[in-house]
Amino acid sequence: MKQALALTILITFIVPSALAQTFRADDPVWVDNDAAIDVKHVAKHKLNDQYDFMIHAFGKPGDRVPKRAMNINTLGEVPDSSWFQNRHALRRMSVEELVRGPNSGNGPSMESPWTVIGAKTEGITPGFRIRDGRGDVYFIKFDPPQNPEMATAAEVISTKFFYALGYNVPENYLAFFTREQLVADRKAVMTDGTGRERRLEEADLDVILKRVHRSQDGKYRAVASRQVYGIPLGPFQYFGTRPDDPNDIFPHEHRRELRGLRVFAAWLNHDDSRAINSLDVLAGEPDLRHVRHYLIDFGSTLGSGSVSAQKPRAGWEYMWEPGNALKRIATLGLWDKNWIQVKYPDLPSIGRFESEWFDPKSWKPEYPNPAFVNATDEDTYWAAKIVMAFTNEEIRAIVKTGQLSDPIAETYLADTLIARRDKIGRQWLATMNSFDHFRIVEGELEFEHLASRLDLGPEPAYQTEWFAIDSVSGTRRPVRREDFQREAALFLVELTSSAGTIKVHIRERDGDLQIVGVDR
Amino acid sequence: MLALVLTMLLVPPQQPSDELTRSEELQLAREEKAQHLEAPKRSFMEKGLYEVKERKLVERFQAGFHGFHPLIGGIAKGSGFGFGTSYEISDRLKASAQVSMKGYQKYEVVFATPRFLTDRLFAEVRTTYRSNPEEAFYGLGNDTREETRTHYGLKDRSVGGHAGIRLAKNVKAGFHAGLVDVTVDQGRRSRSPFIGEMFELASLPAFDTQLTYLRTGVFFDVDTRDEPGNPRDGGRYAAKWSSFRDQNLGLYNFGQLDAEVQHYIPFFNQRRVIALRAKATVTRTNDDQTIPFYMLPTLGGSEDLRGFADFRFRDKNLVIVNAEYRWEAFSALDVALFADAGQVASKVSDFRIRDMHTAAGFGFRFNTAKKVFYRVDVGFSREGARVYLKFGNVF
Repeated sequence: MKQALALTILITFIVPSALAQTFRADDPVWVDNDAAIDVKHVAKHKLNDQYDFMIHAFGKPGDRVPKRAMNINTLGEVPDSSWFQNRHALRRMSVEELVRGPNSGNGPSMESPWTVIGAKTEGITPGFRIRDGRGDVYFIKFDPPQNPEMATAAEVISTKFFYALGYNVPENYLAFFTREQLVADRKAVMTDGTGRERRLEEADLDVILKRVHRSQDGKYRAVASRQVYGIPLGPFQYFGTRPDDPNDIFPHEHRRELRGLRVFAAWLNHDDSRAINSLDVLAGEPDLRHVRHYLIDFGSTLGSGSVSAQKPRAGWEYMWEPGNALKRIATLGLWDKNWIQVKYPDLPSIGRFESEWFDPKSWKPEYPNPAFVNATDEDTYWAAKIVMAFTNEEIRAIVKTGQLSDPIAETYLADTLIARRDKIGRQWLATMNSFDHFRIVEGELEFEHLASRLDLGPEPAYQTEWFAIDSVSGTRRPVRREDFQREAALFLVELTSSAGTIKVHIRERDGDLQIVGVDR
Repeated sequence: MLALVLTMLLVPPQQPSDELTRSEELQLAREEKAQHLEAPKRSFMEKGLYEVKERKLVERFQAGFHGFHPLIGGIAKGSGFGFGTSYEISDRLKASAQVSMKGYQKYEVVFATPRFLTDRLFAEVRTTYRSNPEEAFYGLGNDTREETRTHYGLKDRSVGGHAGIRLAKNVKAGFHAGLVDVTVDQGRRSRSPFIGEMFELASLPAFDTQLTYLRTGVFFDVDTRDEPGNPRDGGRYAAKWSSFRDQNLGLYNFGQLDAEVQHYIPFFNQRRVIALRAKATVTRTNDDQTIPFYMLPTLGGSEDLRGFADFRFRDKNLVIVNAEYRWEAFSALDVALFADAGQVASKVSDFRIRDMHTAAGFGFRFNTAKKVFYRVDVGFSREGARVYLKFGNVF
């Protein structure tokens, strides 16, 4: 069955690009309706993070055969789905929308005390689960004591970026509150450090608050992460498909938005971009439920490592790279990678984040991610285009939502993101054939060279050749550009430069011309 | 299947299908999958790890059973592998019992008082019984021979405590006091001879005397280490003065000053660390007083002079310096090259650099960011190579 399904998908999405001429009536598809079949019996499935580390660090799960992303349309773009929504890059968001991100309100209500319905006292990341006066449930997460504002700012800022990039993310708000804001629910139970469940006491709240930073005005700063609407099902994997979700038919390691996430994760230093920080949720109406896929938990982004400043290794090397470990041991530590020399500014609210040494191509998460490993030049080009859609002003506006009290830190963070964005552009736009944004304007084919428009490099000389495609045989014959509309219903334009050839298919339908395929 | 795909790729392009749109084809693929849904499954290994985590088996093991917590290691130098349990009588009152493969025993009750004045004041009271049946003895002085290894048994009971004030975030000072009752005997049968078979017992101060000491003193501690369990930056500078007053005969009174300096020099983003330590113990007696041999400072073993046996050198005064170059191999492992040099002397003025015993070696430190939880050190000295398998860091 799996093979048959793979063939179906292959025919549907891959063959069009291989043949270059077979287009369907609804191409290019901009919406992949993967909420169409009611998900009747989907199981909650938690993931063990140690197991996840082991299979990825010591094995190669998923399909690693190099191939084109499977869920792209004939333009090479990602249709909207339960995984991804084209946002800022395709449908420009205003600064106000970018700053608001996924948030639908102002966070937990401060009108009445929050009822603490769960708490985590053990481990290195204490936190609460609360219900506010409106009945909304939030997870409350804090900064590490030695890095005030760092993790909470990273979480809020990155949430807004990932939302604008196109992903489903939770609503994350900055919240400032005093001890009096919290009341332990009489029915609440918690798991203590010994692994046993017991009733949550007021004293437990004091124990947790003792371990987090409190500002001079006596308030605690935290991220209030609103519980995602729907029934949580557990994380999604970055390989394979959910066997109990009929709508999930593209292997995750071949989904472009998951492959391209590698570029976004590099930009925002999301080294914790692994299954454990994702969430599937059963959403929709009772008679038509579907699984929505979220990225969650951005505490380990930018310069934050959640519980401390980001580790120096983060983004540079997997946790387990035996070759490097052996070299270090054998050379008495004289050999090492460049990252150990990286200098970071002394900004506790930033942690370890920089742009000078940043190399987007060699950036790595904590351990191999099958979708990231499978990313092709096309995937990274697609993602780089989206990154480059953010202007300096937009980046600064989003950074401001982190409410960093040190203006030097805020400026540094925005400057660093801008510099890292430009490095991503130079890496994947300037080195590739970046003729793009093909469109028909008054019967003329228009396009632009992204790298030169973004001042990342010069526009190369190019030439175009026009062909008419025979609708029956599929053969092509050259036509003059001036005559192309009279010759056939399907046309091919080959745009050739020193960077390669891009094939653009134009279809005539009911007198209108439409770009129906881009093959780079 | 591959042939079919290749055929499709190689044949002339077909006229676009009028029957199905791309969206319809995807819908068909989904409907097809809907006929063959399966619940997610876990592999055997995943199931095992999942159960361990979900049932919090590690936490429960650490938390113990009905208040009993497991203890591994940490009885005494030279005790061999030890294990035992502690029991939490209350939040502040804890009792423990440990034994080792060599027959060492340790029983202890500790009471930690609540902290006062927003944690600035602290105090602790403990009572301990120890039985160390195979304490090594090579003679007194800095030039004893390895072949003269003997052993004796040591038992002590103590009750005491300390109290102090936290003067600043990293600075604390206080006093300590207690009673210590010590006896020495033949110990258990061992590969090494009993101490009396090689040494004149009459030449060993207080061998046949049960002593009760009143111990009093003060301490001062500055600790700027970033992570005490796995320091990469900062240092620790501590001194402790103790006065031991013989309550039985009044013949064995002495004072002891313990001073220790640790300093950590990180470079390359703390992935390399030069760790330095200097430690000295100086004792003082009046002319008519003597220090029992079993109360003298000792040198050698996994904690100070690696490459030499535990308790290898023993005298009234001691100095030891350690230098380690530590580098990270990967996230959970640091490797170290180390050099140790130490000496004991009956008088401080007898310390000579040329008389220092030296050792060097390498080690593997299995760690988290906050703690070295296991180390394997291999030390080399003129007396051969020694391998140390230890829980916890050396310094």
